[in-house]
Amino acid sequence: MKRRGRGIACMWYPIGFTVAANPSAATVKVNEDGTATLLTGTVETGQGSLTVLGQIAAEALGIATEDVHVVSADTDTTPMDTGAIASRTTYVTGNAVRLAAENACAILFEVAAPMLGVRADQLEARDRKIQVKGFPQRHLPIGHVAHHAQVVKGQPPIGSASWNPPTVAMDPETGQGKPFNTYVYATQIAEVDVDDETGEVEVVRIAAAHDCGTAINPMLVEGQIQGGIAMGIGFALQEEILFDAAGRQLNPNLTNYIVPTSLDMPEIEVDIVENYDPTGPFGAKGVGEPTSVPTAAAIANAIYDAVGVRVTALPATAEKVLAAIKEKRARQQNKPQSLPL
Amino acid sequence: MAENRKDARQRQRAPLDAPRRADADLRLPAATPQASYPLEMLVPQVLQQTPAVGQRATRIDARLHGLGQTRYIEDLAFPGMLYARIKRAGIASALIRRIDTRAAEVMPGVMAVLTGREIPVNSFGPSFQDQPVLADAQVFHAGDGVAAVAAVTEQIATEALDRIEVEYEPLPAVFDPLEALKEDAHRVHGGDSNVYASRIIKKGDPDAGFAAADHVLEGRFSTQMVEHVAIEPHAGIATWDPAGRVTIWSSLGRITLGRADIARTLKLPINRIRIVGTIVGGNFGGKNEITQEPVLALLSKKTGRPVKGVYTREEEFAATTTRHPFVMEYRTGVKKNGRILARQVRLVLDGGAYCSWSETTLGKAAILAAGPYRIDNLQVEACVVYTNKTMTGAMRGFGAPQVCFACESHMDDIAAALGIDPLEIRLRNAFEEGSISPTGQVLQTVVIKDTLCRAAQRFGWKEVRT
Repeated sequence: MKRRGRGIACMWYPIGFTVAANPSAATVKVNEDGTATLLTGTVETGQGSLTVLGQIAAEALGIATEDVHVVSADTDTTPMDTGAIASRTTYVTGNAVRLAAENACAILFEVAAPMLGVRADQLEARDRKIQVKGFPQRHLPIGHVAHHAQVVKGQPPIGSASWNPPTVAMDPETGQGKPFNTYVYATQIAEVDVDDETGEVEVVRIAAAHDCGTAINPMLVEGQIQGGIAMGIGFALQEEILFDAAGRQLNPNLTNYIVPTSLDMPEIEVDIVENYDPTGPFGAKGVGEPTSVPTAAAIANAIYDAVGVRVTALPATAEKVLAAIKEKRARQQNKPQSLPL
Repeated sequence: MAENRKDARQRQRAPLDAPRRADADLRLPAATPQASYPLEMLVPQVLQQTPAVGQRATRIDARLHGLGQTRYIEDLAFPGMLYARIKRAGIASALIRRIDTRAAEVMPGVMAVLTGREIPVNSFGPSFQDQPVLADAQVFHAGDGVAAVAAVTEQIATEALDRIEVEYEPLPAVFDPLEALKEDAHRVHGGDSNVYASRIIKKGDPDAGFAAADHVLEGRFSTQMVEHVAIEPHAGIATWDPAGRVTIWSSLGRITLGRADIARTLKLPINRIRIVGTIVGGNFGGKNEITQEPVLALLSKKTGRPVKGVYTREEEFAATTTRHPFVMEYRTGVKKNGRILARQVRLVLDGGAYCSWSETTLGKAAILAAGPYRIDNLQVEACVVYTNKTMTGAMRGFGAPQVCFACESHMDDIAAALGIDPLEIRLRNAFEEGSISPTGQVLQTVVIKDTLCRAAQRFGWKEVRT
């Protein structure tokens, strides 16, 4: 008989390296027509980070995502970057990109100030325009200013910057310190069906509420959450590298090492719990790794809720769950008088 | 097309009194006039909108992905390119007595063979440089590479691997992390102990906390070794130019640090190396350190031709990093109302044959182990040990999925023992704005309770269960 259960798990997760410096640098070049080129040393690994970095550069320059062309991952042409690791790209590289774009923008303001008859610090970049704060009708198209800067004033609007999250080393005896600059938080709740005759676990539904600071691109955040849950399900129920007695892997192939496929995916309901982190680019923190963290715990707790057995060793394969159910039944038969706690 | 639309618009706007055929109004048009469609998009595409932040912008690489035009390493080829394969040890712990590559070298189509002794600095690693590029004296796990071949086809390279003879002298081995902790265990890398890193986090007075607790609960949990299983395997192409500069197209996820590691192994100035990071078909932590890049570069130097290497799926499992198996012991003292007074955590991480990103994994696991909870009295002890298994390294979460599984299972056990709802016990203990973390850090932008409530609301946690 299939028994339904639910389980909750929450987590916290840091952004960036543990204490160690993990800087990023970036260069933003505004072209003569107001479009821009972003140079970053990070690598697109499928998560959509280049799109997010382009959005951050665009935001700082007051232009649209499409106006920014992103050049990445070539050690000959792009500035250094610690890379696509530790959920740090949006936060650390994003801050470097924001600062670089602001530096380029400062040149535009300097050039536009006399054109608009105000001081440079009275200007802002918005909707592809350089405009006077509080008087948006006084504006110049950003392309006009960029062209003037480069061709007339001889000041090409190029900005470079780097950023590194500040940390404090941990005491070796007590571990006290400030290893990270910011953390994200999340909760996932899983609903599972456990077949108490076969031990098979099916994840029916997962509600996932994730904090990522400002969601620079909510669609990509949702993508990360769904992908992270897929990995979490594999970790919870299926995946395990097995070794023989001589230490050789027994299942180094996708026939015998089973990863979840689309058919194993539950319904996923995503909530992005937005908040603003003043240390991140436009309030953003990060979301990559945390999406995969609480899934297995939520599923294990749901199995416990469904059939009353505690899986203490992952993965919760059908064999393991069935063995635990049988053991529990045997225990109950041996002690019929025992009362639940 | 644009002209037609303009014509249609003008036709529609023709004055009513213009001369027209008598039945023109009565006849249905042969085709729907184009002017009935919106002539212009009033709302710009998301990618063209400002402000840019917060937009559900389509990925800038979406079109290339959708058309199958993204060029991964496997899609790249250069004139005269050779294919490299690496021979794997297949034995977990042994001394290498002799490597005989002569039979492979004379095979038609084989252009070069490389062993570890030819690598200028045959070691690398992000924390400790304990991993050989190709094992030359000792094998530490079954997936170690012992020799490499470059040939005109992948098939010939694969065949040549079988012609390479390696003579081993088997050594004792240890595979279980708890066994590896024992006094008399085989020392994987020599030294006094297999423990190669440890962390302690202490806060408050755990003994006093346990003494004041109404209940003390314990739990022991463990997790398994898993692979990242990115769709694209580790891949690279190296080409050494006559001026002594090498360009490597690579699936590395962190090219700046990768370049420094490669420079070290090749004993080259950094400015003689160019790494081009291609679009990576999945990383998840698995592509955060160099693998075969120095081998490809040296084979290219030997042959004067571009050399490509793409790991097989088997190599992805056996010869690249995996997720650390954990053994975790939790002990928690709670009040009747569910408030946690003290917690003690012990973690043993199976570090595999090499350190790789173990130090980071250990640190993050220790810091996060107690969960996102306000606990005044805390003690976490964690260590990572060498075993003769596939090396463990970075993988999505750096130890957090493991400790989250243990901590949150343990939390539910506490809730069940006290008869408190699992959501409620978390809300009672969760961090708040300004809470102090286990390392004494004041936490800001803390929204753990918001995520708990939002997920519970979305799920329908408080609805009556049928």
